[in-house]
Amino acid sequence: MGTKLKLSGADMLMHALHDEGVELIFGYPGGAALHIYDAIFRQDKIEHILVRHEQGATHAADGYARSTGKPGVVLVTSGPGATNAITGIATAFMDSIPMVVISGQVASHLIGTDAFQETDMIGISRPVVKHSYCVFDANEIPKIVKEAFHVATSGRPGPVVIDIPKDMTAPDNLFEYEYPKKANIRSYNPPVEPDDNQIERAVTEMLNAKRPVIYAGGGAIASNAEEELFRLNEILDAPVTNTLMGLGIYPATHHRFLGMLGMHGTYQANMAMHNADLIIAIGARFDDRITNNPSKFSPGAKVIHFDVDHSSVSKIIEANIAVFGQVKNSLSAIIKLLETKLDQYNKDTLQPWHDQIKNWKSSHGLNYELYKDESDENPILPQAVVQHVYNITEGKAYVTSDVGQHQMFAAQYYHFDEPRKWINSGSMGTMGFGLPAAMGVKFAFPDEEVLCITGEGSIQMCIQELSTCLQYNLPIKIININNEALGMVKQWQDMNYGGRHSQSTYQNSLPDFVKLAESYGHVGIKVEKNSELKSALEKAFSMKDRLVFVDVYVDPAEHVYPMLIANHSLEDMWLSKDKKT
Amino acid sequence: MIKRKLTLIMENKPGALVRVVGLFHQRGYNIESLHVDPVDDFTPYKFIEEQLETKFKENEISRLTIQTLVSDSLMRQILRQLNKLIDVIAVSNEETTYLKGVLLDENLL
Repeated sequence: MGTKLKLSGADMLMHALHDEGVELIFGYPGGAALHIYDAIFRQDKIEHILVRHEQGATHAADGYARSTGKPGVVLVTSGPGATNAITGIATAFMDSIPMVVISGQVASHLIGTDAFQETDMIGISRPVVKHSYCVFDANEIPKIVKEAFHVATSGRPGPVVIDIPKDMTAPDNLFEYEYPKKANIRSYNPPVEPDDNQIERAVTEMLNAKRPVIYAGGGAIASNAEEELFRLNEILDAPVTNTLMGLGIYPATHHRFLGMLGMHGTYQANMAMHNADLIIAIGARFDDRITNNPSKFSPGAKVIHFDVDHSSVSKIIEANIAVFGQVKNSLSAIIKLLETKLDQYNKDTLQPWHDQIKNWKSSHGLNYELYKDESDENPILPQAVVQHVYNITEGKAYVTSDVGQHQMFAAQYYHFDEPRKWINSGSMGTMGFGLPAAMGVKFAFPDEEVLCITGEGSIQMCIQELSTCLQYNLPIKIININNEALGMVKQWQDMNYGGRHSQSTYQNSLPDFVKLAESYGHVGIKVEKNSELKSALEKAFSMKDRLVFVDVYVDPAEHVYPMLIANHSLEDMWLSKDKKT
Repeated sequence: MIKRKLTLIMENKPGALVRVVGLFHQRGYNIESLHVDPVDDFTPYKFIEEQLETKFKENEISRLTIQTLVSDSLMRQILRQLNKLIDVIAVSNEETTYLKGVLLDENLL
């Protein structure tokens, strides 16, 4: 006792990660990271998952982070290893996902000499990280790791890069190791507790609203505020809509849930937002896919905006009341004050508003009638695929997705009752995200059903990870909604470019996905007829210990609706190919 | 659009300046002029030391002034974005100072 452990930089790194509570690292070795990889070999506390491409490592760590709430950890080498990780880092940055990315760097004396596999990782990642560190003194490794995790996970979460020149991890240089108990960054102090005055003003508005809407996004999930949000609405009884990033934070099967809002949001959600007199924004940031034209956005509404990030408030839509702090803490403060004023609130005053919403819902709700005719003369509809998957998994699965039409169909038709179960690249819109993200979720929850709803375009962007799934025996279910085209691009070309399908189809060059899955050691199933769909999906989900790739050929002409009409208000939507509001 | 002056007190760390300059480019803000100096007299910044419960040492912090052409609404957004950078300790324009999580209603830098 009393004598401190003497370790190399690489061993200090592994000790620090373990002391930080890290269980899994997703990575790919290479020259500049080899000292670290040797340290990984000589320890047994942290498991390293070998992916097939560094982009896969970042998305897998991201999926792990989104599903658990814990930071994802990535280890890559310098040069191409580092640059390959950039897309995944940017994806995590745009969706505010906690992640720590450790990149090897060429030795200190080689930096700036155009050395083999040298790239300025700090420079190239700067616009897409919350913060970054380069190690100049190996002694600082424990302190930097502590700070990196603190920055990544506190305030508005995000990715942090630690770039480590190879000499900093050399096996012969030993240092006294001690892991700091606390990160102390004097220039970093994100808000936690809200301002009482703002809480009071917010409650007054809530008590007086006639047409309130709760609009909750990914920030509410990041803050683990689902209980607070639920309790708040037990009191208010307001309609609730979620952003694409917020799905699951409020139970989708709750009778006050309007569905997702925005570009492909439900008719009732967009109409309610447009006609509201009070928008209660909770960890949501009025993204351009939500507001449509900001100058025409919800003309009669006051806005209360709860957020941990000052710069997200009044950026696009001016907030009348801004409540800064951890959303969970802010909502707790609201609830506490509301509970003392229950006698001043009568839920019945919202009844005309609920009646109005009910009318909207019944006139243009998501169109279930589409799927009544499931004879084999009709092509399979992509929406029907998601509905069957939802029914078979009883709405309980972790669902990752890629980007495009299938992503929107999944968001519309898989009804999430819990947060952290819907895992998608919302802001960055990164194709190739779904499969590696599903791996990260499956590592975190090996006993849960994990599925990836994807398309034949997206899945080919990280298809190599099927090999990782075999190595680690990850029985993920991949539902490939195959319309033989880049569906969302094609939809825009149909609607805005006179049907000219520029570079959005493959001219019969798609692989045989069944054989592809089989060559990677998995099971492949092809579905082309409505009559085969349900049984094929049931068969896939019955194979508990195998990865099953279900390749479903769907109607290539189908579009995603509703769809906002660009530059107009939230009231202006295409409801089908020939009908607008 | 008016020409406005911003003052930042920031950690004197490698890469800190490029984060500030990069943010201007990344967010589409414009830089008219820029000036950086190490701070050797901490007397004007006693209030920061008190607020952050810290003691500045020699060569630890820099003072940066930026002239920028912006509208009023964008000014607030720039201040908030700069305040978010981890290495930035405080940032002010003519009327406001952001000091890590605290908004003060005057220019104190």
